[in-house]
Amino acid sequence: MITRSTASIQQQAVRFTLSTPVQATLYISLCALILWTIYFTTYPAVHDKVHSLRHHTLTVSCH
Amino acid sequence: MPKLKISVLISVICLMSMIVYGAVGFSQTPQPTVRLTADPAISSSNPQGVAQLVPFEAEATTYQPPARLTLQAMDASGQPLENAHIHLQIFTPSKTPWFTTDFPIVEGTTLLEIDAVAPKGELTLQQVFPIRGTYRLLAKVTPQTANAFAPFEQTLTLSIPENWVKYQNFAVLVAILLAVGIGGGWIIGGRQPIQPGEIAPQPVRLLLSGAIGVAIVALLVINVSAEMAQSGMSMPMSHMSKAAPSADQPSRIQSQGLDVRLSGDTNATVGKLAQFQVTAIDLNTNQSVQDLILNLKATQLENNWVAFAYQGVSDAAGTLTWQQQFFDGAPHKIEVEVAPAPNSNRTFQPFAVAQTIEVEGVAPPLLVRLISLSYLVGVVGAGLALGLMRRQRTRLARHQTAHSVRI
Repeated sequence: MITRSTASIQQQAVRFTLSTPVQATLYISLCALILWTIYFTTYPAVHDKVHSLRHHTLTVSCH
Repeated sequence: MPKLKISVLISVICLMSMIVYGAVGFSQTPQPTVRLTADPAISSSNPQGVAQLVPFEAEATTYQPPARLTLQAMDASGQPLENAHIHLQIFTPSKTPWFTTDFPIVEGTTLLEIDAVAPKGELTLQQVFPIRGTYRLLAKVTPQTANAFAPFEQTLTLSIPENWVKYQNFAVLVAILLAVGIGGGWIIGGRQPIQPGEIAPQPVRLLLSGAIGVAIVALLVINVSAEMAQSGMSMPMSHMSKAAPSADQPSRIQSQGLDVRLSGDTNATVGKLAQFQVTAIDLNTNQSVQDLILNLKATQLENNWVAFAYQGVSDAAGTLTWQQQFFDGAPHKIEVEVAPAPNSNRTFQPFAVAQTIEVEGVAPPLLVRLISLSYLVGVVGAGLALGLMRRQRTRLARHQTAHSVRI
């Protein structure tokens, strides 16, 4: 009985994780993280590396 | 009685007509003005093929000279106003958090404030304009000798369009983000049966693995190469690779009977004005010197571009005072060359005093960056929705085809 309910929870978790909304959210979050790192982080080393790119892209502020 | 009313009415109408006529006439009376000309020309009145005023392009591959602005004070008859003082303030365009420029800290601030002696009523300066938008120039004109003419002030505007390269790059970025979104939606929206022993279907695993791999590689390349580059930054958001070098000329020189001193701030912050003053004293008489030509030049030392330049004469106190904003977080050099005025009895070889300025950059406001990020993420989201819808339609079409074949 316990084994069956554990398996059911696991299946539900897998189904939830692989559901389209969750997958889409994860995908967008990952893209947002990459975009933030490239265009918006204030970490000096990253800022210096992509300085020119930031200054040459509309709606992106640099400093 | 009615006759009296009519006559009163006519009198009132005549009186009002006289007042209105007088007011209109007065408003059409020629007033002293300040005429602004720019080189390169202002875009709205710019014929094709002539260079236009554009905002500063950071890390530009070709050198961009500063724009040359000339303000000419004219009297009511259109003649130049001689022996004038022109106090000029240049204000940057107002803040635009929903459509930010690349220097949001500079938005809504004062770029320059200078008090110039204008013997011929003319003030010419060179200035780099950091961002797009409409700049306001407030010119206050006063006579050098009291009551020579009535002081007046005028606000002029200067509109500078955005650099087209930014639109081009933004279009490319939007296309890439849209493609990334559509691709993601197409794969995520696909049929994803879980095989025995798998925790995720193959397409999803591939998509996530690929995206995470790209993220890791991008972050690694950026961070590792940035760390390996020489970085002696003393403050965040300042892109100086080393400390500001000391100027090759001293800030005070006593030479050829003159004591010339450049004083003012040695540290500046983007968004705030820094103050400077040049003073010239005759060493023989210990009196201030007026008949000098002063050539000011502010140069960004990292890439050696001129941010501001002005040629003028010292005032009655032998000084020239100005305040300017450094919009780029990098060391700058202020250089002032002193030369005798053409009509002066003084003769000496021109010499220069200089001073270096450390400029601290300021990070853009978090809200401004989050707004811009939301636009870019929104494009990915839109692409994702398109991909998902396209996938769903394809699946439905296949399902209907299979159903009709079965029937």
